[in-house]
Amino acid sequence: MGVEIAALMSFFGLTSAFAIIAAVLGAWMAWRILEKAGFPGWMGLAATLLTLTGIASIVPLVLLWVFAFMRWPRDALARLEAGGAAAYAPARPGAPALGAPPRALADRRGWWLSGRLPSGGNVSLNIAAGAASWVVTGAQPAKPGELAVPDPSVGQPHARLLSAGGRLGLEDLGSGETYIDGARLLPEHGPRDISAARTIRLGNVDLALSRA
Amino acid sequence: MSWVIAWILGLGTLALLGLLMIHLVLALVLIIPTWRICTRAGFSGALSLFHLVPVIGWLIVMGVLAFTPWPNGEASDRR
Repeated sequence: MGVEIAALMSFFGLTSAFAIIAAVLGAWMAWRILEKAGFPGWMGLAATLLTLTGIASIVPLVLLWVFAFMRWPRDALARLEAGGAAAYAPARPGAPALGAPPRALADRRGWWLSGRLPSGGNVSLNIAAGAASWVVTGAQPAKPGELAVPDPSVGQPHARLLSAGGRLGLEDLGSGETYIDGARLLPEHGPRDISAARTIRLGNVDLALSRA
Repeated sequence: MSWVIAWILGLGTLALLGLLMIHLVLALVLIIPTWRICTRAGFSGALSLFHLVPVIGWLIVMGVLAFTPWPNGEASDRR
């Protein structure tokens, strides 16, 4: 007889232990969820305590439904942030609030500069993303840090390519003509961002810019 | 004696079925608002289907909502 009573007692003990842990966890999580929605956290605690009084098991259910369909302060804050005019617009139930755009992944790809030489060959330069600079030169055996565009119209050195923070820059070094999408780049312009450019012209060589 | 066993088994099946139906209905009553909360927070509404897990399902849903940053933004990072 003693075994059965012990088993029963331990079952009750386990159940009540689970109930206590669940209540504490539930109160904590309700606090956090309400804070995230923009309410004061004690409202979550109050809701949990109200549930624990056991007035009726329908209480948490009603609170859940109310919480799901009521207006959250967070949404009002978002609307205020979006602009004053929007804040005065009547909130249509069910209309999706304009959320923040998805965070874009940083483009870590490098670049290709490729084109056809007037002499008939092909040239293809790979520029890795990262903080680095290269000198573009017309000299054929390229030294370290140099990119060769072997053509007599390309200066030695001709231009500098700079990559940093996912962007690509181009600087003319004054020994030949350089164009970005048909617009002349002069040495006094300094480095220009060519991340969004399509074609680069060095001397008589047209190079197409693309992402690797 | 066998009819007694058959009777008990039948009753048991009926009781289990009844429990299952009640569980499903209760889960649905929980899933509908939780689906809306999850989508408003920026999660997939399917997260609320954890309510179908007996006993600890609500703990999972609440845990995710409470301890994961909300993709649609929280009140704290707008202040």
